[in-house]
Amino acid sequence: MSKPVTIIMIEDDEGHARLIERNIRRSGVNNEIIPFTNGTDAVNYLFGKDSTGLDHRGEALLILLDLNLPDMTGIDILKRVKENEFLKCAPVVVLTTTDDAQEIKRCYELGCNVYITKPVNYESFANAIRQLGLFFSVIQVPQAST
Amino acid sequence: MTADAVRRRALWQILLLLAGLLVLAAISAGSVILVNQARDDSKWVIHTVEVQNQISNLLLEIRRAESATRAYLLSTSPQFLAEYEASSGAIMPAVDRLVVLANDNPAQVINTAKLRVAVAQRLSEFATGIDRTKNNDVQSSVDILRRGDANQAVQDIANITQAMRAEEGRLFVERTRTADQSQQWASSVTVAGSGLVVLLAALSIFLVRQSSNARDEAEARLRDSNIDLEAAVEERTADLREANEELQRFSYIVSHDLRSPLVNIMGFTSELEELRGDIFKRIATLANAEPVVPDTSGELPEPALPEQDKQLSADFTEALDFIKSSIGKMDRLISAILNLTREGRREFKPVKIETRELIESIAATVAHQAAESETQIRIEPLPGIESDRLAMEQIFGNLIDNALKYLKPGVPGDILVKGRSKMGFVIFEVIDNGRGIDPKDHQRIFDLFRRAGTQDQPGQGIGLAHVRALVRRMGGTMSVSSELGNGSNFTVTLPARWTGHNRDKQT
Repeated sequence: MSKPVTIIMIEDDEGHARLIERNIRRSGVNNEIIPFTNGTDAVNYLFGKDSTGLDHRGEALLILLDLNLPDMTGIDILKRVKENEFLKCAPVVVLTTTDDAQEIKRCYELGCNVYITKPVNYESFANAIRQLGLFFSVIQVPQAST
Repeated sequence: MTADAVRRRALWQILLLLAGLLVLAAISAGSVILVNQARDDSKWVIHTVEVQNQISNLLLEIRRAESATRAYLLSTSPQFLAEYEASSGAIMPAVDRLVVLANDNPAQVINTAKLRVAVAQRLSEFATGIDRTKNNDVQSSVDILRRGDANQAVQDIANITQAMRAEEGRLFVERTRTADQSQQWASSVTVAGSGLVVLLAALSIFLVRQSSNARDEAEARLRDSNIDLEAAVEERTADLREANEELQRFSYIVSHDLRSPLVNIMGFTSELEELRGDIFKRIATLANAEPVVPDTSGELPEPALPEQDKQLSADFTEALDFIKSSIGKMDRLISAILNLTREGRREFKPVKIETRELIESIAATVAHQAAESETQIRIEPLPGIESDRLAMEQIFGNLIDNALKYLKPGVPGDILVKGRSKMGFVIFEVIDNGRGIDPKDHQRIFDLFRRAGTQDQPGQGIGLAHVRALVRRMGGTMSVSSELGNGSNFTVTLPARWTGHNRDKQT
């Protein structure tokens, strides 16, 4: 049996992070969620000290990514993840406030799997996250290649 | 160069021309006068010569008469008598002529009078001699002749003619000198005048050269300043463009970053709402003496709150509702700004547009609304335009939407769209019979987030601000004329061919 999927949440706004986590939990997803509030920490965790991503060999990761980070743009992280041989299979869900068509297109071009704009309306927001949670509960995540 | 200097220079040139003209006129007049004088002088010289000549003629005639008389004395030949008569007859007229000729000079007049007496004396002597010869008294004639040298008349004639000749000689010298002087004057006046004209011409040329130099210089300066101006305009335009882009970026980022906290506020407000429900349910449960029992359908009924707690709950709900509605409003404003900046960043692509078709398609999309309010939309034939299609759609879509939105209650709507071409521009008018706009609000309605009149329609106060921004970006202008209660007329003037250049962007 493969390891349970770990959700990596890269979100600089702690409020958002809390709301996302709550709503994911409400949808019945109990996977481990590792939150990061800035890009550097997230990158260090994802790619490890040697910047190869070797640490996560054999793990199943799902990345929740915000684009507006204080120290770097989420797009850079997306790009590096999709270029890394161990991490490229990990689904990346971009969850951000930007609804610019150019930005969305660019993310999909770089290999993002899902792009969700955070609605300001909380009902829509909660709904979106819960559906995302449901999605997480049925989605098959491959292990990072060994 | 100042206008004053230019005027002074022009004045100078006119003065120079005038001076040249005067000098030429003076030279001409002077020459005419001097030439006349010279002619007079020469006439006088000739006159003197004539007088001398006449004196010689007279003397010659006297000699001829004398010799004829003598020859007749010697030969008594009638041939000499005839000769005598011819020459003595010519003597008195010669004297008369001399008198006429010399009457200009008082001294000569006296001389000629004396001469006439002497000549008459001499003629009578000749006549006596001839008479004697005719009477054969040759001897006494010869005697008279022998005394001839000492004859008083001969002596007088010789003296007088001598004096006359001397006088005429003096006059001749004098008059020749005067004539020479006149000639000299004439030539020197001509030379001096010519010199002056040449000088004035030179001065004129100098001035013309100077003024043309000044003009060239001014032209060069003008060119330079034009180039400078263009550069300055270019620079300012670049600055403005930069500022505009900066502002766009700024509003984009701000509106974007404002959204994040808004998500939190909204989110946790909703969470609070949930909590509120839980808390009051708990209070109710605790406050209720009787335990809550499931009803017949097996569900727990909502426990009733005590009266004062109900009030608390209502206050709580009210507060949360205010927060939520404010957040909703703020979100709509932020979205509006975002959309505006996104529009501002969009590149326009000018294409040929059949304006009438475009507006008909807009009318078709609002047909349902129009039917509901019994509004007719009339579209006159419209001139085509070369512009950005989406922008045109947004402009007229907004204007027609507004016209439909702000109708006069109880009056069937009538919206008219018309247009005409004028000097490279197309002027469109959207005219309605709606509720109109107070003139004091005519400026305000174009401001972002500002609205006018009764606030009975939903809206953010963005439409017209957006429309005007679009019209400006496409190099046009727009205006409104309207009165409260009397419909509105929105006029949009756009370049017939928008080439991509406008106030804040360059292709």
